[in-house]
Amino acid sequence: MSTFTGTGALTRFVLRRDRVRLTVWVLALVGTVAATVPALDDMFATDAQRQARAAVMDTPTGIVFGGPGYGLDDYGLGPMVVNELTMSLLIALAVMSVLHVVRHTRAEEESGRAELLRAGVLGAGAQLTAALITVSIVNLVVGGLTALTLIGNGLEGADSVAYGLGLALAGISFGAVAAVCAQTVEHGRGAAGLAFLVVGVSFMARVVGDMAEEGGGALSWLSPFAWVQQTRVFHDLLWWPLALYPALIGVLFALTYALAKRRDLGAGLFAARPGPAGAGALLGNTFALHLHQQRGAILAWTVAVFLFTLAFGSLVSEVEGMLEENPDLVAFLGEAAADVTEGFLGVMSGYVLMAASAYAVVSVTRARAEETSGRAELLLSTAVGRVSWFGGALSVSVLSSALIVVVGGLGLGSSASLVLEDPSWTGTMVGASLAGLPAVLLFAAAAAVLTGVAPRLLPLVWAWLGYSLLVSMFGALVGLDDRLVNLSGFEMLPTLPTEEFEVLPVVLALVAVLVAGVFALAGFRHRDLSTA
Amino acid sequence: MSSPVIEVRGADKYFGRFQALDKLDLTVHKGQVAGFLGPNGAGKSTTIRILLGLLRADAGSVRLLGGDPWRDAVALHRRLAYVPGDVTLWPNLTGGQVIDLLGRLRGGIDPDRRKELLARFELDPTRKARTYSKGNRQKVALVAALASDAELLILDEPTSGLDPLMEAVFTECVLEAKSRGRTVLLSSHILSEVEKLCDTVTIIRGGRTVESGTLDELRHLTRSTVRATVEGDPRALESVEGVHDLRVDGDTVTFDVDDTHMNTVMGALVGLGIRGLVSNPPSLEELFMRHYGDEPAALDGDGSTAA
Repeated sequence: MSTFTGTGALTRFVLRRDRVRLTVWVLALVGTVAATVPALDDMFATDAQRQARAAVMDTPTGIVFGGPGYGLDDYGLGPMVVNELTMSLLIALAVMSVLHVVRHTRAEEESGRAELLRAGVLGAGAQLTAALITVSIVNLVVGGLTALTLIGNGLEGADSVAYGLGLALAGISFGAVAAVCAQTVEHGRGAAGLAFLVVGVSFMARVVGDMAEEGGGALSWLSPFAWVQQTRVFHDLLWWPLALYPALIGVLFALTYALAKRRDLGAGLFAARPGPAGAGALLGNTFALHLHQQRGAILAWTVAVFLFTLAFGSLVSEVEGMLEENPDLVAFLGEAAADVTEGFLGVMSGYVLMAASAYAVVSVTRARAEETSGRAELLLSTAVGRVSWFGGALSVSVLSSALIVVVGGLGLGSSASLVLEDPSWTGTMVGASLAGLPAVLLFAAAAAVLTGVAPRLLPLVWAWLGYSLLVSMFGALVGLDDRLVNLSGFEMLPTLPTEEFEVLPVVLALVAVLVAGVFALAGFRHRDLSTA
Repeated sequence: MSSPVIEVRGADKYFGRFQALDKLDLTVHKGQVAGFLGPNGAGKSTTIRILLGLLRADAGSVRLLGGDPWRDAVALHRRLAYVPGDVTLWPNLTGGQVIDLLGRLRGGIDPDRRKELLARFELDPTRKARTYSKGNRQKVALVAALASDAELLILDEPTSGLDPLMEAVFTECVLEAKSRGRTVLLSSHILSEVEKLCDTVTIIRGGRTVESGTLDELRHLTRSTVRATVEGDPRALESVEGVHDLRVDGDTVTFDVDDTHMNTVMGALVGLGIRGLVSNPPSLEELFMRHYGDEPAALDGDGSTAA
């Protein structure tokens, strides 16, 4: 029996098991491209409109979410697609690939299902290989369909293919990163977290590199996020940057198999150490237990958000520098130029809220995982009430979400204060983040209500979050109907500091959160517990 | 006798269209160790979860320690301790932390008893739960439950992962609890364990109670096995009422006899001239196999309750 015996069967099994999940991912991603490309063409119909849009993409915010800016000088449909869509697509592909690989490697080991399979006629490397094959297939399908969509919209064939291939290879690279992380960290959640950290750092490296130099600086070249756009598709096509992906993927795959060979099934690189023989004085109620269970995640998210916001906040120096160097940009922005710093920080603050919302949903859904695992059953057989248990879980989620929001504002504000030598930014940005907290809590509340009342529908909260993210990123771009835009959780409140604070929407959102909380607790009190 | 500690009357439970419990009855009196038997999927864990107020019965009445387990869950849970059949723990907590946590949430734990139980079950409380085997996870839940000194212990297949030595420790612990006047509901597949520990037995199948009563009562309802060596022709016994499965080997005859016809059969045997006689009461295993063997149709007829 070789290392790979059974890989084929397992590959088919993974595709069968995830047929719905993967189909949704592919349809959502390709659908976004298919909807956005013609919309871009309509929205920016004239040359003047296109060049105006190109000027926006040349601003610091544009660079963060656009890229190095190839093709801005002649902003046709091709360059528009590349500059407007690439980062969002890459981030989505990275999320999809990391979750997929961890789900079929470390999470399988953690659940014990891997043990059952490995006891059969299955090579030691088969599961890992099946995960890598399937993640490659899905990325190639997304890349291929994207290329076809672009060709279908009348774009050049070779450039379209290079672009689709670049997206797919970048996605596979992030899957390979996750595969390495899955070999080193004992828990699925931890492995995914570590992989996302790598994704975040490489995104940041590209941002800093692209900010430093037009067309991308040295730091950009260290990041898989950059190579797709370094092919300069629809501008001056270069194929060779794509060769960097197979090189990276090869190294990561080799590292993965080397690590996998060195360890036992289920083991991390470090053995579990003994712990205390009894519970400390603090571990005596459900709130403390929930906090204890989530403290690792809370700490990781808080630190990551703080470091990323510090880094993004410090980019305001580049913002100011660009305005000084670029009189055209000042002319284009007119009076808005004075608010560019504010606008930049406002957009960053919006991303803090998005990250915090994702965290909030993850945090609330952990209560559901506690329930289905049977651990809640054990606790609820003691003198702990349903409301106290679920309420404790929700309190931890709300407080930690608020912490992440505040820390994000603090990171942006404090580094802006330092760079601009104006301490007032700290207060402004913390305030701006806090003003957005009700939106974050709305997502937590939605997850709570579904957990309490209709736990089987819990995945819907992810659909709402995904929809809200898409609307925030592309809604204005594709001229989405206002009523559809307003369904996004992020569009329900004004964006500070660029917009004025309004009391009414905040109060309404908080009332909605409280009502949802009551329904969630009442629902959880009155339904059967789901048991293993 | 005072009102029962557990009294379930005609409980129904549906999961969607699947009926898990069908007019189930279960009664346990104070100070009893009650065995709760049934094949996989019979509804034992569902019944226990209803008793714990984790699930709500769709019909029937359920009383636990004089209260309503759904409405008064928290108050009742202070007076009971539960060991689930499939113990899942928090992977990053140690066994000792889990025992303390569960004890505190139940309203206190006796540190001396905890220490004694840890020693008896040979459990290392400093290991993280994720490194425990199934048996060790079960020990954590058992130590937490037994250290609580609750009035009622609800144990769902508590020994399925324990080795024979630990099973013996468990048996001792349950007998000690009984001697202190505690009530125990023990769901189990290990019939020798139930025979050793239980005062009463309830057997369920397909969500219905098919037998319940003391072991003696149950035995009385069923057949004993008789092996006899006789002088006459043992084939004559074939026509005697109450004799089943007659097997003849030379002058030795083996057959099952309904206990209600024992006297008649003995009379017939005496007529044949007995030279040797062994009579065995049915073991619980035989009782169980009779209900769960391959003759389910026979159940509804003679499966009524005896208690």
